[in-house]
Amino acid sequence: MLGPYLFLAPALFFLLLFVYWPLFYNAWLSLHEWNLVSPERRFVGLANFVALLQDPGFHLLLWQSAVYVGLGILGNFALPLLLALATLALSPRLQDLFQTLFFLPTIAAASVASLVWLYLYLPAVGPLAQSLRGLGLDPPNFLGSPAWALPAVSLVANWKYLGFHYLVALAGIKALPQEVVEAARVDGAEGWPLLRRILLPLLAPTLVFLFLSAVTSALDYAFIPIDVMTQGGPFGTTSNLMYGTYLEGFRFFRAGMAAAQAILLVGIFAAFVLWQYRLLSRRDGYGAA
Amino acid sequence: MVQREAWLAAVLGVAALVNLIPFLYQVGLSLAPPERIFASPWPFAGFTLENYQYVLEKLPFGRYVWNTLVFALGVSLGHLLLSLLAAYAFVRYRFPLQETLFALFLISLMVPFVVTYLPGYLLVAQLGLLNTFPGLILPMLTAGYGVFLLRQHFRHFPREVLEAALVDGADGLTLLFRVLAPASLATLVALFLIALIGAWNQFVWPGLVANRPEMYVLTVAVQRFAGGEGGSAWGPLMAASVLATLPAFLLFLLFRRAVIKTFMEGGIRG
Repeated sequence: MLGPYLFLAPALFFLLLFVYWPLFYNAWLSLHEWNLVSPERRFVGLANFVALLQDPGFHLLLWQSAVYVGLGILGNFALPLLLALATLALSPRLQDLFQTLFFLPTIAAASVASLVWLYLYLPAVGPLAQSLRGLGLDPPNFLGSPAWALPAVSLVANWKYLGFHYLVALAGIKALPQEVVEAARVDGAEGWPLLRRILLPLLAPTLVFLFLSAVTSALDYAFIPIDVMTQGGPFGTTSNLMYGTYLEGFRFFRAGMAAAQAILLVGIFAAFVLWQYRLLSRRDGYGAA
Repeated sequence: MVQREAWLAAVLGVAALVNLIPFLYQVGLSLAPPERIFASPWPFAGFTLENYQYVLEKLPFGRYVWNTLVFALGVSLGHLLLSLLAAYAFVRYRFPLQETLFALFLISLMVPFVVTYLPGYLLVAQLGLLNTFPGLILPMLTAGYGVFLLRQHFRHFPREVLEAALVDGADGLTLLFRVLAPASLATLVALFLIALIGAWNQFVWPGLVANRPEMYVLTVAVQRFAGGEGGSAWGPLMAASVLATLPAFLLFLLFRRAVIKTFMEGGIRG
């Protein structure tokens, strides 16, 4: 009867030590003030949370995180879905080709790919700036201007993982019960009604999963591009909750504040996922997805 | 109908090309002589191998490749073994707390790394494992993705075969390594490759715990080069970045069918 636990033990050991213990330690740290080196960790109760919630800088991080998520929905939900729908109208050989081509950026290291984008975005001499000037436009300093930097960073993040979400969309659509679709076609359904009445309801679980993963990974995806290209600048305009948390801890050595911010981050995401899950399980038949 | 397909293929072709433009620049710049780098907005300007020569002479690339290889193999093999054992436990047995334990693995996939890295870093530092391979590898061995994927896969294994093996007296490790694993080889290889490529590309964690030059992995080394003397030397920097990226690309292209299929089955990022 010990069997299953023996098999589980190694994986569980690492899981508890490097995910769940840090989670609890993090919760404990969030109630303290600590600079990472001093032997003393001062208990401050909920002061870190209060300070964060009152800090305009934190509000800005929240807002910028929301913008990253919004752009992530466009780039990692809407776009891959459209590309997948278009791909499925093609012959299997072309489908295979496009799968590989679109997936390639996912295989590249985010840090290395961000360096290439740093070159593409160079002010004045970079290829994007040169091309825009060639078209008679006045190119902005993409990563240097507060208005352009966040979308520019977000584009890199979305580009890097587009292929993954595209594969998920393809897999979901391919898994549709073909008999149902064919039966609807035979009954005369096509075009928009076919899509709306038959395909979309069948696709609901895939769509929800795709949407959830686009939302919950937007900040994660942007982390390395931010770190390599802007370090959160100019004037903090490309930072977000996740990167801000990292800076608090590893750059400013405010472990308690970093921990409190991390908890708020997890809390927001958990609330969002639960809300989606409840929406989903209220729809008959799709609750299991 | 045929015309519509041609249109769609053309649109997708253009999209795919745009998608690959950064790689064209990466390769193009790595082969461009210094004076041609900013000469035009086009990716291919001249041809020289001096950038590669420069970085291979200047940087201890062999050392970085070795570090990256040990790190990536350690993480991917460890991930594979741990998830193989755990997924097997979940499929083969019924036991108390089963669902809860599985949920622990699943939920771990949604915990952002910024939450776990600081405590993880402190732990590694306390154990005296900064700038060592165990310090690099062990904290990356949280096998949630593999456990989830292999459990899915094993569940679709034909029950009759399992039961026949049990009747023959094969159970425990024998059943796993003689029956289940050989029959799931394609998925295991794909999982291994996904973990290997993922670890090869890791940047944040190795940058934190392995910050001594002799322990740099490739991504970190390229980054530090960019932050230092390579900052304005785009040719050598891109040459270094091509060298750092190439192994993962080749592996993927060699095994792309298995990798893509497994990504589609898993539906969760590694």
